[in-house]
Amino acid sequence: MILSIYAIVGFVALLLILLCRSHRSMNALSTVHSLAYFTLALYTLLYVRLPSFYLQDRYFFIDHLGIYEALIAAVLFFFASVYSKGYVEGLINIGELDRGNLKLFYVAFNLLLISVTYSFFSNNLALFWIFAELTTVFSAVLIVTLNAKKNIGAALKYVFMASTSMLFSFIGLIFLFTLTEHALGAGTLNWDLLMLNAAQLSPTILLASFVFIFIGMAAKSGIVPFHAWLPTAYAKAPSAISAILSGSVSSVGVYGIIRAYAILHQTAAAGRISTLLIVFGLASIAVAAFSMLSQINLKKLIAFSSIENTGLMILGIGLGTPVALFWVLFHKLAHALTKAVLFFSGGIMHRQYGSMHAEEIKDALELQPLASWGLILGAAAIIGMPPFAIFVSKLFLLLQAAKLSPVLLFVVLALLLVAAGAFAMFLSRVFAQDGGNNNNKKIEKYIVPDGMTFSIVALIVIIFVLGIFFPQYLSDLLNNIVAELGIK
Amino acid sequence: MIAPALLDNLIKVLINLILATAAIIIVKRDVLSLVSTYSIQSLLLVFVASVLYMENANVMLLYLALLTLVSKAMIIPHFMERIQKKLNIKRDVEFHYLSPTSALFASVFIILVVYFFLFRILGELSLSNVFFLGATVGVSLTFMGMLIIFSRKQTITNIVGYLTMENGVLLFGLFLTELPLIIEALIVIDLIMLTLLATILAFGINSSIEEFHARLNPFKRFAAFKSRLLNNEGEDE
Repeated sequence: MILSIYAIVGFVALLLILLCRSHRSMNALSTVHSLAYFTLALYTLLYVRLPSFYLQDRYFFIDHLGIYEALIAAVLFFFASVYSKGYVEGLINIGELDRGNLKLFYVAFNLLLISVTYSFFSNNLALFWIFAELTTVFSAVLIVTLNAKKNIGAALKYVFMASTSMLFSFIGLIFLFTLTEHALGAGTLNWDLLMLNAAQLSPTILLASFVFIFIGMAAKSGIVPFHAWLPTAYAKAPSAISAILSGSVSSVGVYGIIRAYAILHQTAAAGRISTLLIVFGLASIAVAAFSMLSQINLKKLIAFSSIENTGLMILGIGLGTPVALFWVLFHKLAHALTKAVLFFSGGIMHRQYGSMHAEEIKDALELQPLASWGLILGAAAIIGMPPFAIFVSKLFLLLQAAKLSPVLLFVVLALLLVAAGAFAMFLSRVFAQDGGNNNNKKIEKYIVPDGMTFSIVALIVIIFVLGIFFPQYLSDLLNNIVAELGIK
Repeated sequence: MIAPALLDNLIKVLINLILATAAIIIVKRDVLSLVSTYSIQSLLLVFVASVLYMENANVMLLYLALLTLVSKAMIIPHFMERIQKKLNIKRDVEFHYLSPTSALFASVFIILVVYFFLFRILGELSLSNVFFLGATVGVSLTFMGMLIIFSRKQTITNIVGYLTMENGVLLFGLFLTELPLIIEALIVIDLIMLTLLATILAFGINSSIEEFHARLNPFKRFAAFKSRLLNNEGEDE
């Protein structure tokens, strides 16, 4: 029932966008669309008994993890579309986006919301794979709507890396299907059945299929060494889209890893999978942290920080304890919102200076106080300073790592400090440089539209509140998810 | 009714031919023949699906064969040839790390490794010979496609590499007749979309941004079509 409402809302939104002409109405429709998805997700959480299954073969289902992810996506898309109203208009005025491509932009935007949401509701892993591939298609289209040749290269790299790796995931799924066919009599890729029967499946083949599935998911979420596409794609995409890519689209990959891990966790292969995830997580944090040190492009800095945070999440999943997974899930939410603050603020800087390079951003505090404070607070939040939300999740994840091994704690902590240092260096460089009087007069102040201001301020308030107050309801929800994933 | 043993042998021959087309793609330099080799490879895939249908009488296989025939043996190669003519790339002579000969040796190595790997992993499942051969060649083809992507420089050749990977996965997938049709069909459609997008992007790299957007954006194409239509009507008057 709920799922059909989701489908109808999405369909109507797309249809209306196809019919309307003005930017204003296309943007308003996108905002309403994401708001409707948000309301639906809230309603489902409060009133629908979960997990609930749909279609006769149970291809779709909504469980607590799915609805939690869908909720995060809806929030992110909502703020991105509110932000886009002024931001995209600015892109058109400056000639970076053709008015003729506006419709393509909004159609892809809404299709991306739909495919991301449905990937979270797919019980059948092949169906999940299909939606995950679709998110790649629509993200790539969103990247290339801009009038820049470099964007085409960035999108091509993204499509190639993500989809070739996803083919390996599919091989993993075929292994899984063959395995269930032999072990259970009838082949299945339904996650609930796989969870139920995991204990009867051969750990060796499960391990092999996990490794294959992991390759695709790792490329989707930008885990080292499958991350090469990520910095350029995030940096070239319009800022509203970068926030979505970082918070929602790459989240699809991490989500897939969580689902696959949950199955493996029920078997004897759990230990080896944990080691694999910890190694890849650690490698991602390390590569990202050291790449951040040398960045002079603001958006690339933020993009590498996404790799770092995804690495931390993968490492957290690998720790394999309920507490660690609880904080990984919270980290997902906190990271998505904090990254949006950073990308949105970066977008304003780009409008003001026409560039993301550190040396171009001068007198920022005077010209763009909101974006400057967005960057400063966002950076403080992302490196894990209290009182912001990420502080809590990083703290507890580190404590869990310490339980496994003090050496791991030490290494991760050192790497996180390197990443923090990179942000500090970049910001001190930007905000310490004096534009000089001559230059100052040439720069005309970019007036930030209300929608952009609203999105940044609202998100800062949310990550602040989540950092000092942890609602009981959220904690119950996360505990429910952990229990449903069978992590004990 | 044809004897099952004969059909099994037929499938084995076809699978080996598919492997041969992959080898040709690895060594060829001429872009146009790369595309036509790919379309032959897809056609062989269609034959495999049809022979499997004769064995299993599963209608789904027939649908899949049809879908593959239309999309991978006809539409995609045609689309790529058009783009290739527009871009006027005749030869892809640049090899990144591997010469064609060493790439061939690497492929042989890949096939052996895949064989032993699958033998160890899937050995406990007592699979049929044909299935096992299909799985080995399917997975090897995927890795060979990746080899093409890494060893060539032209985007259009990379796309052929990606398509070879896809064919490998589809070949492997064909033996899973239990996978519901709707899902298999969605997968194929998904892959077609990705390929078309990648080809348009490859076109964009070598052309102006306006031409690229004109090709990418269906709404722009529609608008252009409408205005042309209106103009024609004006001329008639």
